[in-house]
Amino acid sequence: MSNLIRRETSHVVAVQEQVGQYLTFLVGTESFAVSILDVKEIIEIANVTRVPLTPDYIHGVINLRGSVVPVIDLSARLSRHCSEVSKRSCIVLVAVETGEGSQLIGMLVDEVREILEIPPANIQPAPDFGTDIRTDFIQAMARVDDVFIILLAISRVLSLDELSLLSDLAQSQEHLVAASD
Amino acid sequence: MSELDAALTVFAQEAEELLTDMEDALLSLETKPDDSETINSLFRAMHTIKGSSGLFGFSAVVGFTHEAESVLDKVRNGERSIDAELISVLLDSKDHTAKLIEHCLTQQEAPIPASLAAESERLIRQLTGRQTTDLQQSDDSVQLEIEGGGEISVDDNWLISLEFQKDAFRNGMDPLSFIRYLRTLGEIKQILTMAPELPAGDDMDPENCYLHFKIAFQSDANKQTIEAVFDFASDDCDIKILPPNSKFEEYVNLLNAQDDNHVKRLGDMLVQVGALTQNDVDHALQSQQAIVESENQGPSKPLGEILVERHVVQQPLVDQALKKQEQTKQKLASEANYIRVDATKLGHLINLVGELVISSAAMNLIVERHGLSDAGDVAASMNALVSSIRDTALELRMVQIGETFSRFKRVVRDVSKELNKDIELYISGGETELDKTVVEKINDPLTHLIRNALDHGIESPAQRLAVGKPAQGTVQLNAYHESGHIVIQIADDGAGLNSEKILDKALANGLVKPDHDLSQQDIHNLIFAAGLSTKDQATNLSGRGVGMDVVKKNIEALRGSVEIDSIEGEGTTISIRLPLTLAIIDGFMVGTGQDRYIIPLSMVDECIEMNANECEIDEIQHYINLRGQVLPYLRLGDYFHNQIADTHRKRESVVVVKSGQTKAGFVVDELHGEHQTVIKPLGKVFERLNGITGATVLGDGNVALILDVQGLIQAAIKNKSRPAPFLTSQRIQ
Repeated sequence: MSNLIRRETSHVVAVQEQVGQYLTFLVGTESFAVSILDVKEIIEIANVTRVPLTPDYIHGVINLRGSVVPVIDLSARLSRHCSEVSKRSCIVLVAVETGEGSQLIGMLVDEVREILEIPPANIQPAPDFGTDIRTDFIQAMARVDDVFIILLAISRVLSLDELSLLSDLAQSQEHLVAASD
Repeated sequence: MSELDAALTVFAQEAEELLTDMEDALLSLETKPDDSETINSLFRAMHTIKGSSGLFGFSAVVGFTHEAESVLDKVRNGERSIDAELISVLLDSKDHTAKLIEHCLTQQEAPIPASLAAESERLIRQLTGRQTTDLQQSDDSVQLEIEGGGEISVDDNWLISLEFQKDAFRNGMDPLSFIRYLRTLGEIKQILTMAPELPAGDDMDPENCYLHFKIAFQSDANKQTIEAVFDFASDDCDIKILPPNSKFEEYVNLLNAQDDNHVKRLGDMLVQVGALTQNDVDHALQSQQAIVESENQGPSKPLGEILVERHVVQQPLVDQALKKQEQTKQKLASEANYIRVDATKLGHLINLVGELVISSAAMNLIVERHGLSDAGDVAASMNALVSSIRDTALELRMVQIGETFSRFKRVVRDVSKELNKDIELYISGGETELDKTVVEKINDPLTHLIRNALDHGIESPAQRLAVGKPAQGTVQLNAYHESGHIVIQIADDGAGLNSEKILDKALANGLVKPDHDLSQQDIHNLIFAAGLSTKDQATNLSGRGVGMDVVKKNIEALRGSVEIDSIEGEGTTISIRLPLTLAIIDGFMVGTGQDRYIIPLSMVDECIEMNANECEIDEIQHYINLRGQVLPYLRLGDYFHNQIADTHRKRESVVVVKSGQTKAGFVVDELHGEHQTVIKPLGKVFERLNGITGATVLGDGNVALILDVQGLIQAAIKNKSRPAPFLTSQRIQ
């Protein structure tokens, strides 16, 4: 994990002179951040087509200039309630590396806040306990004005292997229920 | 990419095609050893590869293919018979040639490794070793009929006929000096002096030259050189030089070796090989012109005929040249019918057509929304055009599956030899077309299934005879179109699947509970389960099931399905059903609630009203009585989203879909009608999703999902067979 941080920050260092830029957003009432380098685009929430037989955290698919892009409900993915789509809801598009190139995935967030510059000195490794989020989702904690913001590990939160696996599990669970019924 | 690289790419492609053809030809020779056309095609394949390799300086390839070519040439001329042994060696030679070419292409600078060189030598020995015993010297070399030269022995001599004109002496020509000079080039075997126009007595003018000579001349000089001897006399003398018979074959070979990139004139071809000189042709053309002028009209005499009449060239050579000319014409004509196109360009075109389809749908929507009746006509005709453009664009990528099938001849041949089994492969439906992208992806699963059939399906000859089957096993590959899909069948007449063994394994693995109620079909399908495919268990299970889950997964990734049909002791048939294209389909749009779904139109049988009188609906058992047939159905909205039933539903419709022989009904709220559907991949996240195979973008910019009809039909059938399905019980709660 610490390796990961070093690589991530050194990457940022090269570009931003030791200060990383992070996009902060709200999920529910909590603030989270991701490295601005991961973010491709932020769009307003448009018509989302829901996909049947998928777990709650799959919000649906959208048409992004002709290609079909999945949207993950970040709140549900972080084991919270499903997001209520409001006027402030946005989709943050990030590119996730797959075996055959990168794929765009949208994250449904409740509100996009701002872009912060966080010096590496203010970034600390994730605590082993004390959060209700899976620890491997947390890349690091950033201190901003004496408040800690969780920096999300995008590659883990939006791990394609896991997303597709879990949708599989959700289905088999449903079928198990069906069988036991 | 430099020009040379481009040329190399073409060479590699061409060589691969030729070698594939060669393999096909060799395999077909096994059954029809006398087919001269096939033998010719073998020869041509080696010959062309030799020629093109020479262009790039791949001497190793040239050296090897030259030997193979000469052997094939002997076979072609009937000097050597083709038998199973030779075919085997030639098949190995084909593989070896491919290796050599690959080596040359990948490591152009590096010398040929010793192993390859040794293999070359070994194969050459095998190819040529039997020559001494098998070779029958062809004694009956072509006998030529030489007209007009009757009095002179023409064995292997040039035949020169000199007809001096009367003014020859006056112009200072001395025939004798020419003949003397001729002797510096070779040996005059025989000379015949004739004076057919010599008038009698006083009419003879001593200053006139009445002499004609016919000379049999032996020389290694070529025709041009010999003609040059009489260069000065050409105005006063009619010179005809007929090449010797031995030259004839040389000319024919030269003719055949002429590159056939463009059609040449007969005269030019003959001049080029040296059978004629430019003078001969010019004279012949002049006389042809003269004939046309004197006879005023009518078709002129062919040049070839004139040349033969003038005794400057033999008839067979002209025939040969004409044949060659015709071949070249045909070859060029067939080449002109095909254009090699980069597959990525084609892919790009199809993507663009997809976008065009979506935009035209968007435009239709706007026309409809604003009620623009005059624009409606234009939009409709444009729509018709767009859909025919779509069809044409997709057709561009359609290829016949035959090529893929014939590759398996070799697999069957090699594997059956390896296993000491006698297995014949029958191929039918090779002309069935499907998208090239699908063809590429189907190869591996097919290979796997065929190997399985050979290895585990077909028994050994002894076992077969013991159960009263012919010793020779058969594997059939068949393909045909069925409702927008291609069905590929692999059928063997082997032992079939042993249900008990499969069931035992599945029980041991915990895949099936002991109180199962699986049908025979369900048990057979267990071989596709991942749990049954680990090596250890597979060997106990006579190997069946190795990687079968991978086969199924690959086929499903192509939106296809695989079915297995096996009778123990009689054989197994595996049917693969694949969509014809992965790009654009005709869809049928339906709606439940606010969701819209696309059903591939080819799978829609009919639409009926849910509450129509002619069908009875059983809400608990989930089936409809459709004109006497039991039709299981699925409420799409309920199935997909577990919606609590709306007590007063609107008028619902049932879309009857079929896949192969099975039918089911999908209950939907709305029917939106036909929709040209551009299939967009859903991506990795949804790759394991059941019931949905893809997505499309609608005219209004929304995304609609494409239903996996096959999977949903299975779900509907299960729904019916279980007395208290999950969804029903939920609704009751």
